Amino acid sequence: MSVLTQPASLPPARKIDRGRNWPQIRMYAGAAVAALGLVLTVVDQMNIGWIIILGWLGLLVWKQWHAILAFYSVISIYPVLRVISVSLRPGSGLLSRDLAIIPTGATIESYVKIFTEETFLHWVWNTLSITLAVSAVGVVVAATGAYAFSRWRFPGRRPGLIFLLTTQMIPAGMMIIPIYVIVAQLGLTDNIIGLMLAYISTAVPFSIWILKGYYDTIPPDLEEAAMVDGCNRMEAFWRIILPLSTPALSIVFLFNFLAAWSEFLVAKVVLKSPTVWTWSLGLNDLIGTFNTDWGKYAAGSVFVTIPVLLLFTWQSKYLISGLTLGGVKS
Amino acid sequence: MQEFSGLSLQGVLDTLGVIVPLIAALVIGTLIFQYFLYKILNNVVKTSYALPYTLLAPAIIAILLFTMYPLLYNVLLAFSGLTSKTFNCYSPVATGVCKLDHLYGFDYAAKNFTDVFFRVKDGEILGWGRLLRTADSTFPVLLGRTIVWTGINVVFHFFIGLALALIMNQKIRFKGIYRSFIIIPWAIPGIIVALTWKQEFHAQYGFVNNLIEALGGQGISWLRDPIPAFAAVTFVNIWLGVPFYMVMLLGGLQSISPDYYEAAQMDGANSWQRFRAITIPLLRPILIPAITLDVIWTFNKADLIVAMTGGGPQESTNILVTAIYNAAFGSAATFELGFASAFSIIVFFILFFFAVIWITTSGGLKEIYER
Repeated sequence: MSVLTQPASLPPARKIDRGRNWPQIRMYAGAAVAALGLVLTVVDQMNIGWIIILGWLGLLVWKQWHAILAFYSVISIYPVLRVISVSLRPGSGLLSRDLAIIPTGATIESYVKIFTEETFLHWVWNTLSITLAVSAVGVVVAATGAYAFSRWRFPGRRPGLIFLLTTQMIPAGMMIIPIYVIVAQLGLTDNIIGLMLAYISTAVPFSIWILKGYYDTIPPDLEEAAMVDGCNRMEAFWRIILPLSTPALSIVFLFNFLAAWSEFLVAKVVLKSPTVWTWSLGLNDLIGTFNTDWGKYAAGSVFVTIPVLLLFTWQSKYLISGLTLGGVKS
Repeated sequence: MQEFSGLSLQGVLDTLGVIVPLIAALVIGTLIFQYFLYKILNNVVKTSYALPYTLLAPAIIAILLFTMYPLLYNVLLAFSGLTSKTFNCYSPVATGVCKLDHLYGFDYAAKNFTDVFFRVKDGEILGWGRLLRTADSTFPVLLGRTIVWTGINVVFHFFIGLALALIMNQKIRFKGIYRSFIIIPWAIPGIIVALTWKQEFHAQYGFVNNLIEALGGQGISWLRDPIPAFAAVTFVNIWLGVPFYMVMLLGGLQSISPDYYEAAQMDGANSWQRFRAITIPLLRPILIPAITLDVIWTFNKADLIVAMTGGGPQESTNILVTAIYNAAFGSAATFELGFASAFSIIVFFILFFFAVIWITTSGGLKEIYER
């Protein structure tokens, strides 16, 4: 039984019983290592480092794959827990070297401060209005365009697709400079419309790319059957393809939403005055050169991350199917 | 009107009053435009592709207007002498004295493009150009660092992502929980990741050093010293990129039918042979686009570096794209937009060149356009 090829449904090949029960031996060995960690913790003045390290080693002995996944999960999630921890610290303990997740004297002071001392809600509202508009426009424009790329072999299709991939290669600076100059010349600096137009430029090509890959996996027979039954092409698209593409459409919406929600560089160049800032500029300013307010920064981060995390976990089933179905031939 | 945290009801209504009519006008205008375009294409031009062209029209217009126009304008800017001092000359709305006798010309372009590579005085090449006016930020150094940065990141993304996907593809308990934990870095807004890790690499209060010291090691001033700074930024980008591969590869693995493995097992193939002969070839349609996208994204990763280190210390984390940003808008900037435009065009062609070689040798795009 190997990690390299273990298929999900195939039962593991039965090993010849050599008179030893390995899973049980490993379980006892692992428990022994963990118990040693517990003893050392008690001996070494309740230093919980021992139980954490030896407990993990015990898990590694008992079930190695769980140990690896647990280790990587901790790497993924610990920085997030840290942000929450910093956001709960009392004002006096902000610059603490404590590693504990729940800080001593936990308080929601920072959460109150971010709303009362900063114009945080305004920043979030600015971002939200830009983001929703950009995502919606991206999905609507791309949904039909990608369908054309998927179903017809029209002249100009291949260069078009290559062009879409090429737009992904444009360095950030290459778009920021002309966008900044155009926006400045039009007098649209400090205007969220200018930023919206800038974001649409990246949202549309990427959306078409993903959606086209998804439509390709839907057999054309479905629409043909509908057209035999009297639908025209657009009705078939509207009634059959679009409902079937909900996963991909929501992926595209989600990607555009995430990209615009946390965009930083273009916003930094285009929006100068605090009243039109997006939250990324506001939070960046909170821990900028002249101002280091970790508590407020952390509280603000938690606020803007939680909706995105919820959206992400809620959609993660679609996320995986939507992304990969585009890549695998049916 | 009551105001809370800088936002009043009036403010919300004002924004909606701009955005909602704008979007409504866009959608309605597009539909009307599409209707007439279809009639023209179908009845006047009589092309058999009237419908696909009509469907594509909004996307084409959006791309022409919002992607192509800025790109072409960027080329024009490379032929200009645009800096902070001459901004008045190029802006129709600004008023002020303009000291230039012409706005665009090949003389500007020649200077802008040579400045990227060489330091020239009185028509004589003195050596490699020092971008950003510092000693070691020359073009070959930046290019080399960008290649190292991209290489390290993509290799680690790929191997860690593949290992996690293979483990998760087994029958294992708590799979859903592990997966939702592991994709968290991907779900967090990029700028929060950058700013948070910047603080966590703080020499005194960041958890990285606190953890090292708790384990009895010596703390490192991560973002002050050149090599640790590069290591720190690379670590963060690896942390960020693994979930993408894990998700893509796990999806790919799950789509491989177990029958193949069963058949190979009956023929006596061992697990490594099955991996080489079944898993890797069948993952190819996912792997090639994933690696292509990852190379491009990593090469172009400016926001993380700008937010974490700004390219410093001593230029140690400055890659090509951050150098462009710094030349145009950075703190050490001279606001040389004409020069930065020329620089960005060169960087784009470098990436384009690599990408074309990679795509043609790997045949990755065949999957996509030859259906």
